[in-house]
Amino acid sequence: MTAVVNLPEPTGSTPPHQTAGGADPAVPKPHGPASPLRVLSRGASTIWSNKKARIGVVLLLAFVALAIFAPLIAPYGASENGFGRNQSPSGSHWFGTTAAGEDVLSQVIFGARISVLVGFIAGFLSTLIAVVVGLSWGYIRGPLAEIINFIVNLVLVIPGLPLMIVIAAYLQNGGMTMIIFVVVLTGWAYGARVLRSQTQSIRGRDFITAAQFAGDGATRIVFHEILPNMTSLITGSFFGAATSAILAESGLSFLGIGDTTTVSWGSMLFWASNSNALLTGQWVLLFAPGLCIALIATSLTLINFGVDGLSNPRLREGTGR
Amino acid sequence: MSLLEANNLSVIYEPRGAEPTYAVKNASFSLERGEFVGLVGESGSGKSTLGFAVTRLAKAPARISQGTILFDGRDIASMDEEELRKQRQGGFAMVLQSGMNALNPVRSIRKHFGDIFAAHDHVPKSKRLARAYELVEKVELPRDVLDRFPGELSGGMRQRVSIALALSLEPQLMVFDEPTTALDVLVQHAVMGTIRELQKSENFTALLISHDLGVVLESTSRVMVMSEGVIVEDGTSEQILHDPQHEYTQMLLGHYADPRAEVVEVPGLLVRGSTISLTGHDTVLGVVSPADGDPVTAAPSAPATPVRRRAGRPDAAAIVVDDVSKVYPRPRRGSDPVTAVDHVSFTLEPGQSMALVGASGSGKSTLAKLITGVERPTSGTIHFGEARVDRLRRTGLRDLRREVQMVFQDPYSALNPLHTVEYALMRPVLNYTDLRGAAARTRVLELLDTVGLTPVEQFAAKLPHQLSGGQRQRVVIARALACDPQVIIADEPVSMLDVSLRAGVLALLDGLRVTFGVSMLYITHDLLSARLVTDQIMVLNQGRVVESGQTAQVLRFPQDPYTMQLLEAIPQPQRAGAGR
Repeated sequence: MTAVVNLPEPTGSTPPHQTAGGADPAVPKPHGPASPLRVLSRGASTIWSNKKARIGVVLLLAFVALAIFAPLIAPYGASENGFGRNQSPSGSHWFGTTAAGEDVLSQVIFGARISVLVGFIAGFLSTLIAVVVGLSWGYIRGPLAEIINFIVNLVLVIPGLPLMIVIAAYLQNGGMTMIIFVVVLTGWAYGARVLRSQTQSIRGRDFITAAQFAGDGATRIVFHEILPNMTSLITGSFFGAATSAILAESGLSFLGIGDTTTVSWGSMLFWASNSNALLTGQWVLLFAPGLCIALIATSLTLINFGVDGLSNPRLREGTGR
Repeated sequence: MSLLEANNLSVIYEPRGAEPTYAVKNASFSLERGEFVGLVGESGSGKSTLGFAVTRLAKAPARISQGTILFDGRDIASMDEEELRKQRQGGFAMVLQSGMNALNPVRSIRKHFGDIFAAHDHVPKSKRLARAYELVEKVELPRDVLDRFPGELSGGMRQRVSIALALSLEPQLMVFDEPTTALDVLVQHAVMGTIRELQKSENFTALLISHDLGVVLESTSRVMVMSEGVIVEDGTSEQILHDPQHEYTQMLLGHYADPRAEVVEVPGLLVRGSTISLTGHDTVLGVVSPADGDPVTAAPSAPATPVRRRAGRPDAAAIVVDDVSKVYPRPRRGSDPVTAVDHVSFTLEPGQSMALVGASGSGKSTLAKLITGVERPTSGTIHFGEARVDRLRRTGLRDLRREVQMVFQDPYSALNPLHTVEYALMRPVLNYTDLRGAAARTRVLELLDTVGLTPVEQFAAKLPHQLSGGQRQRVVIARALACDPQVIIADEPVSMLDVSLRAGVLALLDGLRVTFGVSMLYITHDLLSARLVTDQIMVLNQGRVVESGQTAQVLRFPQDPYTMQLLEAIPQPQRAGAGR
């Protein structure tokens, strides 16, 4: 087979090229330029090229590493409580110890596990719901769309934290699963609304009508024609959802909802406030987990700056003057 | 001394993470005072980039990489922002293609004028209102336009407002970048007239950038032709019209013809002649073979091609539109409901090709939506064979679309940017035929071959952005052919394409119709292309059919004033030459 590169635009007056013998069933699969791997790596490099996003990625990777290798990095176990109580920072306990005699540094390191886990799982689940609801809702018309609209509005207008507290109080003794459930239940609606409006705008494009003419069904159009065009928006909404999931988890744990014996940054704050850490001069006990929560939320937000550049090349840094 | 002198000017695009490209290469030209000069080229030729460069509006990633631009003896290529801003009063101004979108929707037109007067302070406060009145009258708008908001004005009116705004700075040089391209044919004609008159009365120097050589030749005294960043020809309009030197200019000129002529000829297309008598009786439309033996004409080319029989498929059926109306609910409180289609009846016989022409808003696209079942008529019936199109439900629509396919206007939005050509063509094959696996793929390659995209293997793997506009439109046509339909509805299939690509796509559509025996409803505002590819024509005005009949008959001897108006609005290089 001879491959001719850069063939000029054929004019209609050229007679159609005759295929010898018509069909050749053993045609090789084309290696399309759009392999998902390449798209992914191009996306990653776009994010990396943004300075803010690069800081965010480095920060997030640091936290993920902290979470994965916690048992290796932490000097002591998370609930090991054989040390002196309320000790100030020292050589053997860099961040001091808690009122129960646990090592604060080790707790901070192990606490990263909960935050990263809750952030990613809850973020993923609420994005998943947002995608399914948002895309179908944006594509369909008629009374069903109105019903979905009502439900989403309902979730949106009820203030998040009180709703979480009510649900969490109702589902007692759930631990982490319960917290993830609550965060997902209250967190999907915003993403669904954003995705819906974007779906509505893509729905009007010619290639959607063309897909209808090609005989594609609604499900196929939504997930094969519309969804790939919203990758950046979905990625962005995932990082947004993960950020709010981490903050919600910390908030709930700080309020003592859920299992307070699990070591997370929120529950550390809960115990620190219970033992009046600030009055006893143990500011590290409050400061360290608080800073970590702020940093991980910041890292996700910074990454989102880079994600913006995926969909809108004008937002990529360095192109403007 | 010339007003503007560009020496060895190059503009480079330096996007991040991509190879830099030269959009303008070593352009040297000068504009004399009071001259009306045209700049012609196809998309991507660098004509707009050049226009932006000489008015110093070029933005990153574009950059003037070398050369000087002397405006009134001063080099503006190296001027700083503030100096440049001051220069815009009494210096140079630009009217953009999307000028109608350049107005702030929440500010009245009066405030737009106020902003400019305040920014340059060249008109004393007491005289500003009078000056604004004067300006809107110059562009032939009523005075009360000043109190209205951009959203209340039509596209043509908004473009006139942006011309008036540009004029308010009393510029010595006005650059018009495709000032009428986004406008409707009839409006386009009127706005160009205004621009011509203004240039004469105000005596500013004007540079008219356009892809349409016809429009440019009608207005300007000198024309520069640009191709791939290089000015390939620069001569007076007469020279360009009668004695074009460069083959590119010759090619551009070759695509103009008068649809009213007895024999219409465009390179690469069938020659359509007519033997219509002046009385209009006993008309016969003939297809005259061209002298050079164009390959397409080798195909059987009688207009009444016998309809092909397809195994296992229903016999060819006619589309019968009977007294159909479509009324859209009133767009906003207080206004009247919009009647888009008003009691239209016609029949599209199998194998026939019919043109549906009219200005924008004449209801031609709505009619297409009704026929394809995308929208339902308010009253009247549409039959396709046995089926009532206006009552079809989901499975019925699917069956309809197996037989009635559509070619879209904008090839840039009709293909999903993320799917390969193969995917786009595979969908209808899988949905409408029993072919699977390798057989389906063979069919896809066959389709690519039919529309002339060879080597097929390479094109199958490409993404839409790797294709030119003409190639994309071929893919769209291939997709419409995938299920072997009886009827193709082509909605302005070439209006977004460059002149040089139009003939190819039109020839393809026409050839397919003849070889496959499909009938075609060709929707357009372009009467020349209608003349070239259709046998029957229907002229729509505000939802009503004002004239119909054989294409050659109607276009050569139009009866309705609206048809005459449409014909009059077509830019004619020849007319320009005669008028001078």
